[in-house]
Amino acid sequence: MSGITRIAIEEWRLWLRSRVVIAAALIVAVLIAATTVLTMNRIADEQSQRIEQQVAAEQTFFAQPDRHPHRMVHYGHYAFRPPPALAVFDPGVDAVTGQSIFLEGHRQNTAMFADTKAAADLGGFAALTPASLYQLLLPLLLIVLGHAMFLRERESGTLAVLLAQGQSGVRLAVGKAVALLAVCAIFMVPLIAVAAYSISMGESALTAFSLVAGYFAYLCIWAALVLAASIILKQRAVSLGALIFVWLFAALIVPRFAINASSAVIDAPGKIESDLVMLAEQRKLGDGHNAADPAFMQLQAEVLEQYNVETIEELPINWRGVVASYSEAELTELLNSYAEERMGLEASQSRLFGLFGLASPTISISAASRTLAGTDIATHHRFLRESEYLRFGFVQALNEKHVTDLDYTVDINRNTSPEASRRARINADAWEVLDEFRFVPDSANERLNRALLSLTILMGWMLAAGGLVYYSAKRVRL
Amino acid sequence: MVKSLIRETRFLAKDRGALFWLFLAFALSVIAVSFGILEVREQRQTIATLIEEDTADRINALQGQEDWGSAAYYAFHLTYSAPSDFAFAAMGQRDSSPWKHRVRMLALEGQIHEADTRNADFGLVGRFDFAFLAASVAPLLLILLLYDLRASERTTRRHDLLVATAGSSGSLWFPRAFVRVVGLALLLLIPLWIGAVVEGTAIALTLQASGIVVGSLLVWWLIVEMVSRINASASVLLTSLIGLWLALAIVVPAVSKAAIEAANPVPDGGEILLLQRETVNDAWDLPKEATMKPFVERHPELKPYEDIPDAWAWKWYYAFQQVGDQVTEPLVQQYRDARLARDSQATTAALFSPTSLVERAFEKLAETDATSMIVYEDNVREYHAELRAFYYPLMFPDEPYDSALLDDLPVYAPES
Repeated sequence: MSGITRIAIEEWRLWLRSRVVIAAALIVAVLIAATTVLTMNRIADEQSQRIEQQVAAEQTFFAQPDRHPHRMVHYGHYAFRPPPALAVFDPGVDAVTGQSIFLEGHRQNTAMFADTKAAADLGGFAALTPASLYQLLLPLLLIVLGHAMFLRERESGTLAVLLAQGQSGVRLAVGKAVALLAVCAIFMVPLIAVAAYSISMGESALTAFSLVAGYFAYLCIWAALVLAASIILKQRAVSLGALIFVWLFAALIVPRFAINASSAVIDAPGKIESDLVMLAEQRKLGDGHNAADPAFMQLQAEVLEQYNVETIEELPINWRGVVASYSEAELTELLNSYAEERMGLEASQSRLFGLFGLASPTISISAASRTLAGTDIATHHRFLRESEYLRFGFVQALNEKHVTDLDYTVDINRNTSPEASRRARINADAWEVLDEFRFVPDSANERLNRALLSLTILMGWMLAAGGLVYYSAKRVRL
Repeated sequence: MVKSLIRETRFLAKDRGALFWLFLAFALSVIAVSFGILEVREQRQTIATLIEEDTADRINALQGQEDWGSAAYYAFHLTYSAPSDFAFAAMGQRDSSPWKHRVRMLALEGQIHEADTRNADFGLVGRFDFAFLAASVAPLLLILLLYDLRASERTTRRHDLLVATAGSSGSLWFPRAFVRVVGLALLLLIPLWIGAVVEGTAIALTLQASGIVVGSLLVWWLIVEMVSRINASASVLLTSLIGLWLALAIVVPAVSKAAIEAANPVPDGGEILLLQRETVNDAWDLPKEATMKPFVERHPELKPYEDIPDAWAWKWYYAFQQVGDQVTEPLVQQYRDARLARDSQATTAALFSPTSLVERAFEKLAETDATSMIVYEDNVREYHAELRAFYYPLMFPDEPYDSALLDDLPVYAPES
């Protein structure tokens, strides 16, 4: 048995004899197990529920009776975002954003009914997830276990003996590190189980593995910091106090401070604010409901010339449909440009937030974790983009039916009598234009790419913390 | 007593460890308060801009309208909930619940659930505001300040000598801890008081908030005091105290939250929208009486105009918009009741967690708690009802359109 393993085993023997350590480890283990089971159940429920709702929404749409096509534009449709497989570990922003969105003509709605809006408010930490336990609680456990692992030898006088026997400070530190890393490895088991479960649910092995690796790196960083403190500082209480301070700073203060800072530095106007600016522009475009609006005069001239006729009544197509289709396209372009600007600003806020990872590894791991799990804000933005694409698709397809399948004269006379209104309808087969929508997470590569910066910062932390251990262990004297 | 306090203050001035924690508390408080004020100012600025642009937009929208129906269709109205003069200390629900809307006279249920909230990361991580500092961080700082008062003397082997010479152990430890607690409380509160003066917060409110902070520090002091009577090493004491903090600040709130939410399910919000949409859309194909009957039941004064002879009329259109709202009322009520029930149970549950209690108390004072957000929603509903009450008597009897009358359109005036 080499000296290093002997040192590590000795450390474990001491831990197993300490009631405080056993109690702390057990409590953390129970918390992780309970939270994981609860989150897993909840997410699995939500997932099947959302998929069912999506299918139901499509079937209701197809089942609508014969109608005027523009009625279906306003009848609208729903897009749902089922949580990805790894959301069982890190549900991310899903609780804050709401996971369904109503799609209709002429409007881009926001995702509604976020869980947080109806949540019981018990303060900052009440929403426990497996991810937050790994980010907040496991570092504390490592601190409790390891804050005295090196200086204990100093206190009890065994350090002198060990050094005199020819053990170097570095070898001693490696032995202690092995012991602490074994703890980290044991606590990775629940995460590995969750990762395996998610792979069985269709998650890519690459992302699941990266998530596990990222959290292991995060725990290694804390293990190294703890070990370094126990080497550098000479008193237990001081070492424990200093480490608690580092934890307080990295896990509680910096992340929230980073939120304050990124919201103060980059001002992202809300939707209402940018909508107001946009509405003024929209008015210049004309109202798609009113085909006699002057803004459409030029369009009218072009279409009449194209078909070589004098009046819109003579057109072989339905002029009102042309107007609806034209103004929807114009409006959507405008809406999208504002939506993109807003999402761009939010994305830069989140990027700035991610850079604060340089001050706290907790930020880096949480950002990487959300990204890898597919529950980050970028995924939410993609959901908004894809549901907008779906919206534009079915609205324009219905407008196309309006142009080709409904006679203009019948259409403008639709309000003259109930009979006329019944005639101004098209066959319900036309509703089949709605595309099937199944929101899926980004590809593994894409997510990994997006998480790269945070993961790199995490690696930087690991090198720095490892270097600190090596440097201080090398200088160990009596 | 005064003498021993002066003595302990002198000791404290030389204790670099303690001074560090105290300075940290002060710095964090300054940061929390100044970011809070910055954010509140920005929100007020946003509201001021919105009011201006909203008015301009409405004037523009109403120009050239020729009937009441189109006027009501094209004119949007801003509603908002301005941050209170204490909101800088606790942003609470304002990051995750909407506090501004633009509504018009269509079915309200399709509009009121729109969430114009900030970046979702903000709501997820939360802000570093004073409430968070006072509720979660301050207890940790207090623990770090007090845990080794006795144990450090034991380590230096002066403990027994000190106890023996001091006469009573109370006169020895009490002043020492008292000076630290008072120091921490003052350093936390001074920036808050300055912030309150800058923001013009009512003095009674500031006093209440200060009382909450002091009260919570006293509770934590008591906890530390009980634990440190155990004859154990400083690091074991600190470990136990951190364990207690974890239990009270994280485990108890998380367990209560999970239990409360399981016990009070909220109806799926999507159901409200779905029902409203189906009702409004079905109305197009139903005979007009099917809409007008439930409508005039709610508005008996409009009974004379119940018959809609035309194939299409604005009054019928707005009637089925309202019927869409009427049909969803039971669901909406359920949703609202469940939120309120969750909130009131959270009030009880918070009694078992000092951190939840402090945070909730601050949100209540700052009017950023769940109840205040519901009050805002109620205000929006009330305003929307005023809009209907304005247009219906003009629209239903077919009063001739007169744009001058629109100067009397109800204006959203939040009760503060």
